[in-house]
Amino acid sequence: MIPFIILAVIAIAGALGVILGRQPVHSALALVGNILALAVLYLLLSAEFLAVAQVIVYAGAIMVLFLFVVTLLTAGKEEGEPPEELGGQRWWAGIFAIGVGVVLAVLAITHPGSAVNTGIPSNFGTIDGLGHLLWGPDFLYLMAVAIMLLTAAVGILVLNRPMKRPRVSRPGRRES
Amino acid sequence: MIPINFVVGLAAIIFAIGAIGVMARRNPLIMFMSAEMMWNSAALAFIAFARQWHSMSGQVMAFLIVGTAAAEVGIGLAIIVTVYHRRHRLDIDEISGMKG
Repeated sequence: MIPFIILAVIAIAGALGVILGRQPVHSALALVGNILALAVLYLLLSAEFLAVAQVIVYAGAIMVLFLFVVTLLTAGKEEGEPPEELGGQRWWAGIFAIGVGVVLAVLAITHPGSAVNTGIPSNFGTIDGLGHLLWGPDFLYLMAVAIMLLTAAVGILVLNRPMKRPRVSRPGRRES
Repeated sequence: MIPINFVVGLAAIIFAIGAIGVMARRNPLIMFMSAEMMWNSAALAFIAFARQWHSMSGQVMAFLIVGTAAAEVGIGLAIIVTVYHRRHRLDIDEISGMKG
């Protein structure tokens, strides 16, 4: 129980750091802390392959992509948060989201549910067990995600194609 | 073994914090990171349920969530970079022209 409490505190601190960070790069670093805490938590929940995938895909690929974009867009700028235009947007967002979070957390903690104790298979959480499911009964989902990733790649290429009439014409700079 | 209700409670708390980030912040990069956190909390709940019910279907769903989040981040960051190159401001309202 003690490791769970430590990890939960780290994860919640990272989550709060993401939404309270003044600069996007601070938020990105806090998100890395959150993701790593969750990865260790996956290990405690005997999901070894997913813990490794979480570190590689999230903390490796996705956060590096985020940091690249943050450096590309905000380097050397001290740009604060744009002013809010909807009246009291932050207050209402906080009130509603905290209400939803409190209700969900109280329901989750007070209704643990009853486990069907069928015994953990020996390959539970390993890449072996996951592969047997993904290439067996759940093959359709795997193909759906594969098609979605392909579509996303094509979409990114379409979004980043050179524009025919560049609006910001700066010599020597590629428009992307 | 960790009691499942506390893990799901942690997932709910992280989900709510991510929802606050999406609704209250106006920097599109930070909104995207908050959305990533919400995906992550859903994956955490799936993995906790998989551990509790001794069935690996939840882990399959968490794996698919990781793949979906990767696609979402790619598309979203491409949109943010494209809009920034046209408007030179990091404000989510710049994307309101996408509403068709």
